[in-house]
Amino acid sequence: MLGLAAAVALWAVFPLYSAGNWAGVGAVVAVTGLIFYVYLSKRAVPAKYLVPGTLFLVAFQIIPVLYTLSTSVTNYSDGHRGTKEEAVEQIEASSVQRSPDSTSYTLTVAARGSAPGGELVFLLTAPDGSAYAGDAQGLQPLPGATVTPSGKITAAPGYTVLPPSQANARSEEITGLAVPSGSGTGIRSSGFSTAYEGRSTLTYDAGCDCITDAETGRVYTADDERGAFVADNGDRLPQGWRVGVGMANFARFLTDPDIRSSFLGILTWNIAFAAGTTAMVFALGLCVALTLHTREHFTGRTAYRLLVVLPYAMPSFAMFLLWRSMFNSDFGLLNRMLGLDTDWFGEPWTARAAVLIVNIWLGFPYMFLVATGALQSIPRELVQAARIDGAGAWQAFRQVTLPLLMVAMAPILVATFAFNFNNFNAVWLTTEGGPFPTDNPMAGATDLLITYTYRLAFGASGAQYGYAAALSVFIFLIVTVMSVVSLRRSASLEEVHR
Amino acid sequence: MARSAAAKAPARHGRAHPLSLWARRTGWRHLVMLVFLVFALFPILFVVSAALNPLGTLSSSTLVPRSAGLQNFLQLLGGTHFGRWYANSLLIAMANAAATVFLSALAAYVFSRFRFAGRRLGLYGLLVIQMFPQFLAIVAIYLMFSTVSDYWPAVGFNTPWGLMLVYLGGALSINTWLMKGFFDTIPAALDESAQVDGATHAQAFFRIMLPLVTPVLAVVGLLVFIATVNEFLIASVFLRDPEAKTVAVGLYGMVADQRDANFGMFSAGTLLLAVPVLSVFWFLQRYIAEGLTSGAVKG
Amino acid sequence: MRIRSAGLLAATAALALTTACGGGGQEAADQPKGTMVIWADPERTEVLQPFAEEFGSANGIKVDVQEVAADTIQSDFVTAHEGGSGPDVLVGAHDWIGNLVQNGAIDPLQLPQEKVDALNEVAVEATTYDGQLYGVPYAMENLALIRNTELAPEAPETFEDLVETGKRLKQDGEVEEVLGLQVGQTGDPYHMQPFYTSAGGYLFGTDDQGNPDPADLGVGTPESVAAFEKIAEFGEEGEGVFKRSIDAENVASLFHQGKTAFFVTGPWSLGAVQEAGVEYDVSPVPGFAGGEEPRPFVGVQAFFVASGSKNKVLAEEFVTNYVTDPELATALYEADPRPPALTEVMEKVSKDDPAVAKFIDAGADGRPMPAIPQMDAIWDPFGKAQAAVIGGADPQKAVESAAETIREEIG
Repeated sequence: MLGLAAAVALWAVFPLYSAGNWAGVGAVVAVTGLIFYVYLSKRAVPAKYLVPGTLFLVAFQIIPVLYTLSTSVTNYSDGHRGTKEEAVEQIEASSVQRSPDSTSYTLTVAARGSAPGGELVFLLTAPDGSAYAGDAQGLQPLPGATVTPSGKITAAPGYTVLPPSQANARSEEITGLAVPSGSGTGIRSSGFSTAYEGRSTLTYDAGCDCITDAETGRVYTADDERGAFVADNGDRLPQGWRVGVGMANFARFLTDPDIRSSFLGILTWNIAFAAGTTAMVFALGLCVALTLHTREHFTGRTAYRLLVVLPYAMPSFAMFLLWRSMFNSDFGLLNRMLGLDTDWFGEPWTARAAVLIVNIWLGFPYMFLVATGALQSIPRELVQAARIDGAGAWQAFRQVTLPLLMVAMAPILVATFAFNFNNFNAVWLTTEGGPFPTDNPMAGATDLLITYTYRLAFGASGAQYGYAAALSVFIFLIVTVMSVVSLRRSASLEEVHR
Repeated sequence: MARSAAAKAPARHGRAHPLSLWARRTGWRHLVMLVFLVFALFPILFVVSAALNPLGTLSSSTLVPRSAGLQNFLQLLGGTHFGRWYANSLLIAMANAAATVFLSALAAYVFSRFRFAGRRLGLYGLLVIQMFPQFLAIVAIYLMFSTVSDYWPAVGFNTPWGLMLVYLGGALSINTWLMKGFFDTIPAALDESAQVDGATHAQAFFRIMLPLVTPVLAVVGLLVFIATVNEFLIASVFLRDPEAKTVAVGLYGMVADQRDANFGMFSAGTLLLAVPVLSVFWFLQRYIAEGLTSGAVKG
Repeated sequence: MRIRSAGLLAATAALALTTACGGGGQEAADQPKGTMVIWADPERTEVLQPFAEEFGSANGIKVDVQEVAADTIQSDFVTAHEGGSGPDVLVGAHDWIGNLVQNGAIDPLQLPQEKVDALNEVAVEATTYDGQLYGVPYAMENLALIRNTELAPEAPETFEDLVETGKRLKQDGEVEEVLGLQVGQTGDPYHMQPFYTSAGGYLFGTDDQGNPDPADLGVGTPESVAAFEKIAEFGEEGEGVFKRSIDAENVASLFHQGKTAFFVTGPWSLGAVQEAGVEYDVSPVPGFAGGEEPRPFVGVQAFFVASGSKNKVLAEEFVTNYVTDPELATALYEADPRPPALTEVMEKVSKDDPAVAKFIDAGADGRPMPAIPQMDAIWDPFGKAQAAVIGGADPQKAVESAAETIREEIG
C-alpha cells in the first residue's frame, strides 16, 4: 500500500521536477508525507480509512468548488478569460493587415548554414521569379537558388531547406518572424509555402499602458477595472482580460429589480418541485420494493425487478427529449392516446405537472433499488413479532418497518431533494423553463433557480462565469441550509450525533 | 430459515380456496407490478420503435414504425467505433464501481463505528459538497486537467484513467451515507467481540463487516455502475479521440446537433447499452436479496 | 526493514510505469515532433479524416481529427484554448467568430487575393470580421422550401399561395398540416427569419462599412411590431399555419410521412428526404404578397486556425493552402452535400445536382448571420416572443418585452 503510494509519487514527481515546477513537487511530497504519516502511526485509525477517498474528494470536488468561488469576485466571462499579457499579444497579432496591392511570395523555410538548427531564414520567390533570402535584418537577393517551375525554392547555397515537419517544430520562431520590407511593414509567413507583406496596425506601449492604432491614430487606454482597452469615445477592443471586481457580481444579483420580482415565485416552485419529486419517487419506489419484498415464492420477481429498473438504465437526456415529444399538444402520444387536447407546455400548471411526471418516471427505480437494499437491513423478526402481537400489516409497517427504514433512507431522501433542487436537465431538456409570460422572457413557470440563473449567466452575451459563480453561491447556500435543517430534524439525527 | 417461514405461512390460510389464496398472497403483487410496468415501460417502447425505424427520426405519435429493420444496429456496429466505446464504457464503469464501493465502504465503516473529531463535520460536508451546482465545476476540472495532461499524459485527456480519477472524486458521497446507515443496523457487538478476540480493526472490517453488508455494497455498486455508464457531461469533455469515447459520449454526439440528429442509431445504441446494465443488475440482485438472510446477523 | 521493502516496491512500480509509458514515447520519437489536431462536429469528422491523413503523410506529421458534440464544440474550444490544450484547427460556423475573437482563440488568416477571389462573396463577407478574414469558408447553407411534388406540383409564388394550397390539401384530407416549419415552445428565430424579414423586420442595422451595428437594434421598432402582427395572422389563433407544436424533432417526420406538403429547411435535410422516398423539389422560401424579399440567414462553415496552436505553421498551411484546393472541396461536397464556397466547385456541382443549385438560388438574397457577440442576446428572448405571438399573445407587448431584455443584455 505504502509502496504503491511511493511509486505513484515518484512517477508524479519526475515530470514536475524536470519542468522545474517546485510548487507541484512540494504538493506531491506533502501528500505522500501525509499518507506515510497516517499509515505508519499507530494512532489516527479513522484517518487510515478516510484518507483514500478524501484525497480524491479534495482534488476533484473541493478544489473545483473553491476555484469556482474564487471566480465569483472576478469578471471572468467570454472576452475576459485570460491575462492582460495574453490580451495584448492577441490584439497585436490579430491586427496584422496585408498591405493593399502588395506582393505575395512563395515561401521556403530554411536555416542558415548546413545544420537544420541554424538561424531561421525565409527563402522567397516573387511572382516575377526573382529569389530572395530574408531574416530579421532584411531582404537580400539570393543567387544560385534551385527554383521549381511553380516558384518554390528547393535548395540554395549556404542554407538548409527545412522539411515541413521540422519547420513546424519551429512554429513559434516562424510566426514571430517579420522580414522588414520598408516603412513599418514586414514579410510574414502564412503557412510554410506562402508569405505576404503586411503591417501590425495596433501596437502596445507599456509606457502609457495603451494601444495605438497606426491607421486612425486612435489611442485605447487600459482600464484595469473593466479589463479592457477603451478609447476616449467609449469604443473598446474586443479582447479583454480577467480582473477582480469585488462584490459586483453579488450586488448585481441582489439589486436587479427583475430578479427581485421573479425570485420568490421561482424559489417556491423550486422547493415544491424538489419536495414533490422526492415524496412521489419515495412513495412509488417503496411501493414497488415492498411489493417485491416477500419471502414467499414469487414467480417472476427477478423479471419484474429487471424491467422496473429499465427507466433508470436509459440515458436520461434522451428520455427527457422523448417525453417532451410525448407531451406535444398536437402530435404527442399522451394527447392522442387519452383523447385529450391539453396544451401541456403552454399552461403553467400542466407544464409543471408534466415536468413532475417525467422526473418521477426517471427517479423511482433509483428509490426502488435503495429501498430494496434498506429493507434487507430490517430484521424480519421484528415485523413478525409485531404481527404476532396482533398488529395489522399496515400497523406493523407503519410502526416497525417505516421508522427503521427512515434511519437508512433519510439521508438519501435529503440527497434526492438536493439533487432535484438543482436538477437542471429535468427542466432544461423538457420545457426549457417555459411557458413564459408575455411580458417577461427571462422567468418561466417551470424555471428552477438553476435554470433561471443559467439563463441569466449564459443565455445571452456569452458565458459570464464570474456572475454564474456568484449565483451558484446563492443557490448553494439556500439548498444547504434547507437540507441540513431537514436532516437535523430527521430520524438519523441521533445516529450522526451519537 | 427462509424455507421454514414460507412453509409455515400457508397453514394459517389452510381452508381458503387455492385461487383466492393465490390472489391474496401473490396475485395482488402481480397486479401492482403490472401497473408499474406499464408506467415504466411504455416510453421505452418508443426507443425500441425508433431503433427499428430506418429513417432515424423520433416519431412519438405512433408506436409502430412504417417500416422496420435492423439497419440502425448494423450501421452502428459497422460505421462507428461502437465496439471500442462499449469496451471503454464497461471498463470505466466496472473499475469505477469497484473502487467507489471500496473507498466508500472504508469511510462508512469509520463513520459508523468510530467517534472522532470532525466526524459530524465530515458527514455533513459529504452531503453539502454535492449540492454545489455542477455546471461550473466542469470548467475548473477542465483547466485542472489541461495541466495534468501536460505533466502526466497517461492520466490526462483521452485516457480512461484520468476520467476515472475525476469520478473517484465523487466516491465519498451520499453513497457513504447509504452504507453508513446499513453499517449502523449491524450490531456493534459483532465486530467488537472480534477485536476483543485479538483481530485488528482491519481484520474486523474485512473479515466480519464486509460480508455482512453485501446487500448495500451491491446496491451502491449497481448505482455507481449505472451512473457511470450514463455519465456524459464530464466524459464528453475528457474524451475526444473517436477511439477513447464511452458509449454515452458517442451517442450524445449523434443527437446533439438538432439538424442531423440520428435518433435511430442513438436508440439502437441505448438499447445495447442497457444490456450490460441489466446483466450487472441480474448478477448483483441475488446479493441484494439474499444478503441478510444468510444467518450471521441473527446470531 | 519495512521502509526498505516499501522503497523497493516503489522502485519496481515506478520502473513498470516508465516502461509502460515507454511504448508511447518510442513511437513519438520516430515521428517528428507533435501531432496536429483538428476539431470538428461528428457530421464532418469522418469526411475530413482521409484528407487530414493525406496532408499529414505529405508533410511528415501525424494529423488527428477529433469529433466534439455539435452543441458544445464552440464553448469547449474556448475553454480548451484557455487551458492551453486546444486543437490546432477548428471546423465550425462563421457566426462563432465574434466570440472566438474576443476570447483571442483564433488568428486572422492571410489569403492571397486570387484565392479570396475564387470564393463566394457572401461566404467571404461572413468570415470577415472587423476587416480581417478569420476563417476559410468551404460550405454554405441557407433555408429553402422543399415541397412534396405529388401533393403540390407548383412552387408557390407567395406565402399566401402556399397557405391556399396547403389548406386545400388539408381539407381534402391529403395532409394534416399546412406547413412544416419548426417553431417549438421557445421559438426558432433562425427558421422564422425569412418570414420576419419578408414582413419588414430586421435584427441589426448596418454601419457605413456594411457590418451589423449593435447600436441599431431592429427588435422593438415599429417595423418589427408590424412583422410580428403579420406572423400572428398565420399563428395558432389565426390561420393555424405556424404552430408551436411543430418542432425540430417532429418536423422532418411530418414531411417524410406525407403529413405536410411543405417543409422549410436547409440542405442538411436533403439526405433524409431522399431516403424517405418523397418526390420533392426545392424553391426559395416564398415571401408575403406585397412584402419585402425574404432574406434567410446564410450560414458558412469554415476552417479556423487556433491562436494557441503549437503547430501553427502546419495549421496555417493546411487552412490557407490545402483547404482551398478545389479537389478537396469537391470531395467534401460529395461526402456531405452542401453548397461549396469555392465558386468553381459550386458551379460544377450545380450542374450535376439541381437540388443543390436550387438551394444556392434560394440563398441568393440571404444575408450572413451576424457574427457579432451581441447576437447571442437576441436568440433567446426573440424566439420566445415569436412563440408567444404564434400562440396568440399580443405582438406589441411581446416584441417590446423582448426588446427590453435584449437592450439590457447588450447594455
